[in-house]
Amino acid sequence: MAGNPFPQSKEQLLQAYRTMRTIREFEERLHIDFARGDIPGFVHLYAGEEAAGTGIMMHLGDGDRIASTHRGHGHCIAKGVDVVAMMKEIYGKKGGSCEGKGGSMHIADLGLGMMGANGILGAGAPLVCGAALAAKFRGKGEVAISFVGDGASNQGTFLESLNLAAVWNLPAIFVVENNGYAESTSRDYGVAVDSYVDRAAGFGLPGVTVDGTDFFAVHEAAGEIIARARKGGGPALLECKMVRFHGHFEGDAQTYRAPGENEHNREHNDCLKKFSAAVTSAGVLSADELKAIDREVLGLIERAVTEAKAAPQPTAADLLTDVYVKY
Amino acid sequence: MAHPLQPPAIDACIGVIANPVSARDIRRVVANAGNLQITDRVNIVLRLLQAARAAGVARALLMPDRGGIRALLERHLKRGDTTLPQIDWLDMEPSSTVEDTFTATRLLQRAGVSAIVVLGGDGTHRAVVRVLHAAGSTLPIAGLSTGTNNAFPEMREPTITGLATGLYATGRIAPDEALLPNKLVEVRIDDAEGRTRQDVAIVDAVITHDRSVGARALWKTGSLAAAYLAFCEPEAIGLSSIGALLQPVGRQERGGLAVQLAVRSEDALTLLRAPIAPGLVLPVPIAGWQRLVPDEPLPVQQQAGTVALDGERELSFEPGQRVSVTLREGAFRTLDVARCMAVAARDGLLRTSPTP
Repeated sequence: MAGNPFPQSKEQLLQAYRTMRTIREFEERLHIDFARGDIPGFVHLYAGEEAAGTGIMMHLGDGDRIASTHRGHGHCIAKGVDVVAMMKEIYGKKGGSCEGKGGSMHIADLGLGMMGANGILGAGAPLVCGAALAAKFRGKGEVAISFVGDGASNQGTFLESLNLAAVWNLPAIFVVENNGYAESTSRDYGVAVDSYVDRAAGFGLPGVTVDGTDFFAVHEAAGEIIARARKGGGPALLECKMVRFHGHFEGDAQTYRAPGENEHNREHNDCLKKFSAAVTSAGVLSADELKAIDREVLGLIERAVTEAKAAPQPTAADLLTDVYVKY
Repeated sequence: MAHPLQPPAIDACIGVIANPVSARDIRRVVANAGNLQITDRVNIVLRLLQAARAAGVARALLMPDRGGIRALLERHLKRGDTTLPQIDWLDMEPSSTVEDTFTATRLLQRAGVSAIVVLGGDGTHRAVVRVLHAAGSTLPIAGLSTGTNNAFPEMREPTITGLATGLYATGRIAPDEALLPNKLVEVRIDDAEGRTRQDVAIVDAVITHDRSVGARALWKTGSLAAAYLAFCEPEAIGLSSIGALLQPVGRQERGGLAVQLAVRSEDALTLLRAPIAPGLVLPVPIAGWQRLVPDEPLPVQQQAGTVALDGERELSFEPGQRVSVTLREGAFRTLDVARCMAVAARDGLLRTSPTP
């Protein structure tokens, strides 16, 4: 082996793998626990999409803010939200990120710049304009990033936000996680012009499309876009073409998919498999190092579930706390 | 006077490969590169097909896609446009990757089309040529520039390309007048276990120090190690401009050019300012250059890195793997649109007698 051929350090590559593996195990465990009836409410899983959230979030600090979606667990983990607190939140227990009162679609950690998952499609984009405007006034080179899916990209809030960010030249970045389906509606049917770069151009923003299942492609493109925004270069759009391994929601029969589509995606479009193959064949990380992370992550998820199950539920008195925030 | 060389073929069929995802990469952010919108690409397809129909083409076979071109075109066709040839879609499942271009080229070749019109940049044209070259096909292509780096395809009004393609496809312009031979650079990577990877570049094969294809597009001169050019024209944008501004080599000229780049400016023979991507005129430290002799494999000195083919990093190689490049002449054929239109004028191919 002749050194590290990747632009990321070995430590960064280990971090990337750990983050992606944590998201994957977190989601696959929820898939099982939800089917068992252990989890109240609704969950939408990010499995298959890990490279996008991870490749983008590795460029961010706590001062950079993100607004996530209904499919937000991966964004939360990649932004550094505590996994045990997340699991407790999804189980609806005290000690959760929002003391068990929010659930899967409202996980937030403002101290980390994670402004929240969001059950309203397209609602994160205008929030990010506000966060980016604040960042612009603070002048510390911080950025704000909004995530939407291909479905939510049809929402007026998203399109209005592109316009606002361009007009105010905000350090705002709009990431379209294009997994091909708006719930059960194929993008072929539901998106008139299936090019998000075109949509960005319509508002005067540059747009870039990358293979969202390739961590290295996402990391490089996101790095350039974020660096540009930090220097006052303005907003941009990043489209990550990707696949989701599960249904829109847990329990979704996925009758809209072609036969064998999920199996094909898991075999050929798995971002973790691609990453592992790249780093091990280059001799930068060994299979043993990756397995050690796998074991560590499995232990973490097991502990998170155990603690979540053991934690108490919120009480009626908790309903009246955390309603307002003091400024 | 109307005297076509021969009556137009009544079943003339052409192929169209329109890449919906060219001009979408990071160069839009780092270099203000252009973005040809999907609606514009559809309009280009419509204009070239209208002209091809006017020249007598009866049928066009198109590559399906999931990037919006098919969807918008079908929306247009529902409006009952009668100025177009019969349009059929190739029987393939789009994957939204370069595999679509490979598959479409194979299917068009099998279908026996007279020519393929390609919409894309250097990369899309390379993908088509790679398939044709591997198959030993002489099927000609007519290129329309809709990509980022466009040293290969022409910037031309598609109506004219459609007319020229139609005149050739219907047999009214003979191949020896309509077509031009083209060079390419073959890249071969052999490893110690006897495995071989091969690919082609139709303009430039560039060796970089990167060793990770990352976001694929190449725009940082610090990573460049060497460039092997099939041709290089001083007015062109892209990595071939490095050679073109040292020693231009025409498309029809014998041989190519190999340029070695220095790692540090202080080691360079000369520092060249070259337009290596749209908006990027950057200093490139040059260590030396030499002509590429046809059919003589040239070993690449770099021990490890990435091979970028026509502007995009495609192949990584490690120490112990041997990379070589070979210039090939007469490797594939393109439609000479300007010549076709000159022949059309000379022979009155578009004239008809007034109806009494």
